[in-house]
Amino acid sequence: MNKPLKKTHLYEFHKQTAKMTEFAGFEMPIWYKGIIPEHMAVRNGVGMFDITHMGRALITGGKSEAFLNYVTTNDVAALAPLSAHYSNMCNEQGGIKDDFVLSRLEEEKFLIVYNAGNRTKDYEWLVRNAKPFNVKVEDISDNIAMFAVQGPNAQKALQKIADFDLNRIERFKCGWTKLAGVEGFVSRTGYTGEDGFEVFVWNAPLTNPINAVKVWKAILEAGKEFGIEPCGLGARDTLRLEAGMCLYGNDIDETTTPLEAGLGFVVKLKKDAFIGKEALTKQKAEGIKRKRVGLIMLEKGIPRPHYEVWKNSEKIGHVTSGTFSPVLERGIAMAYVSVQHATEGNKVTVKVRDKLTEAQIVRFPFYDPAKYGWGRQK
Amino acid sequence: MRVLDYEIPDKLYYSKEHEWVRIEGTEAVVGITDYAQKQLHEIVYVEVQKVGDNIEQLQTMGAVESVKSVSDIFAPVSGKITKINEELAESPELLNEDPYCRGWLARINLKDFNKDLRKLMTAQQYAEYIKGMED
Repeated sequence: MNKPLKKTHLYEFHKQTAKMTEFAGFEMPIWYKGIIPEHMAVRNGVGMFDITHMGRALITGGKSEAFLNYVTTNDVAALAPLSAHYSNMCNEQGGIKDDFVLSRLEEEKFLIVYNAGNRTKDYEWLVRNAKPFNVKVEDISDNIAMFAVQGPNAQKALQKIADFDLNRIERFKCGWTKLAGVEGFVSRTGYTGEDGFEVFVWNAPLTNPINAVKVWKAILEAGKEFGIEPCGLGARDTLRLEAGMCLYGNDIDETTTPLEAGLGFVVKLKKDAFIGKEALTKQKAEGIKRKRVGLIMLEKGIPRPHYEVWKNSEKIGHVTSGTFSPVLERGIAMAYVSVQHATEGNKVTVKVRDKLTEAQIVRFPFYDPAKYGWGRQK
Repeated sequence: MRVLDYEIPDKLYYSKEHEWVRIEGTEAVVGITDYAQKQLHEIVYVEVQKVGDNIEQLQTMGAVESVKSVSDIFAPVSGKITKINEELAESPELLNEDPYCRGWLARINLKDFNKDLRKLMTAQQYAEYIKGMED
C-alpha cells in the first residue's frame, strides 16, 4: 500500500479552493484560479505559495561554519548573520546532491532550506558528514510553516502585518518579525525572479495548524488591495522557469555538475577542501562538454522534458524543463546542449512529437529584466 | 445532462479517451469533452492532423497542450478529415470556453460508423464512466 500523503497546515484551505496533486509525498495545491492568472499576479502584483513541504534543518555549534564550508560549495565564511545565499551540495564526483538557500541566523546557527523531494537524502547526508565537526543537525521541517510572498507588491502587502520595518531587509537578508502577532522569520528570497519574501511561521507544528492558518489568512487579507492570489505548484514552476532557475530532479541532479548547470557562481574553488572540490577543479581546468541553456521557441509548440535538441542533422542535447511562458506567450525550455553549440543566439530545433521545431538559445531570465523581476525599473 | 461538475450533451457519442462525436449525415464533428478540458485546464496550443489525412479510430490524430502538460487526441472514429477548426490556431482557449461548440476540432468523413460505435458510449454510459473515474 502507498504511504498516506502528508498534509500541510493549510490543507483544508487548499482542499476547498484548489486542484490538488501529489508532490514529494505531500498533497499540495497545483492551482487555484489557474496557472496563468496566478503567474501574472506574481509578475504584476503579489502572490502567495504554501511551501511548507520543503525541507528545513538547523545546524548549530562552534564548527558549523567549517562544517558547512566542507559540505556545500559556496563560501559560508562570507555569510554575515541574518544573511542568506544560494548554494549547492555536491557528491565526490561533483554531481549536485541538492540546491538550496542557506541562512546564517547567528554566528553559530544556520538554517538550510532544501528541496521537498530530497528531505531524507539531504538530512542523512548532513548528519553523516557532520560527525567529525561535532555540530548538531536538527530536522525542523515539521515544526515550521513556510510561505513565499512574491511579486513587486509583496513588501507592501507583508508590511501591513509585520512589526519590523521590511525596508531594513535587503535582498538575500533576513530578520525576525511578528506577523499578525505570531512569531516569524522572513528572508528576502524566492523562486520566482521577483522581489519578495519567504515567511517562516516559527512555532507551527503540523499537528497544530492554528498559527500557520492565522498568518496565511492575514497575508491574504493584507494583500487584497494589491490583488493577491494564492498560487499553486503550477505557477511556481512556470515562474521559476521564466526566471531561469533550476528545478532539482529536472535540470540538475547527481549526474550534472554546477559548472555544467551554469551555477559556477556558487562554487568557490579557492576555499579549503569541500566535497566535490577535486572533481570540480578538474572539470573547470579541462572545460565542460555540455551546458544548460535557455531555449525560446520560434514556432508554435511547447518543449517538454526529454525532447531532443538538434542542430543541422546532429543531436546536440535534450530538454530538461519546458513550459508555456505566460509573459512571452510562447514555449520556453531549459536544455543541456554540447558546449560548442551553446552560444546565445544560436538557432536550433527541438523535436516536438516527431516534428523539428525552430528554437533559439537565449540568456536567462527569459523575460526582459527591465520590465519584470526584482531588478525591474520602477 | 450535467454530472458532477461536467456537461455531457445527450445526443453525442463519447470515447474512453474523452472525445465526443456528433453525427451530421455521413460526417462526424469531433472534439474533446468538458471533462477533458477541465482536467487539462488552460489549453494554450492545439495541433490536429491535416485536411485529407485518413485517421483510424483510437489512433493519435493530434495533441492538446496545456501550460502543464501535453495530451494526445485519439480519433474517436475512422475516416478522412474534411475540415479542421482554423480558429483554434489563434484561440486555443475555445477548447476551455466552449468545448462542444466553438471548440470543435475536426470534421471527418466516416468510413464505417457502425464499427466505430462498438467502442463509443452514449451520454448516459459516459456519465457513468466519469462517475467511476472520480471515485
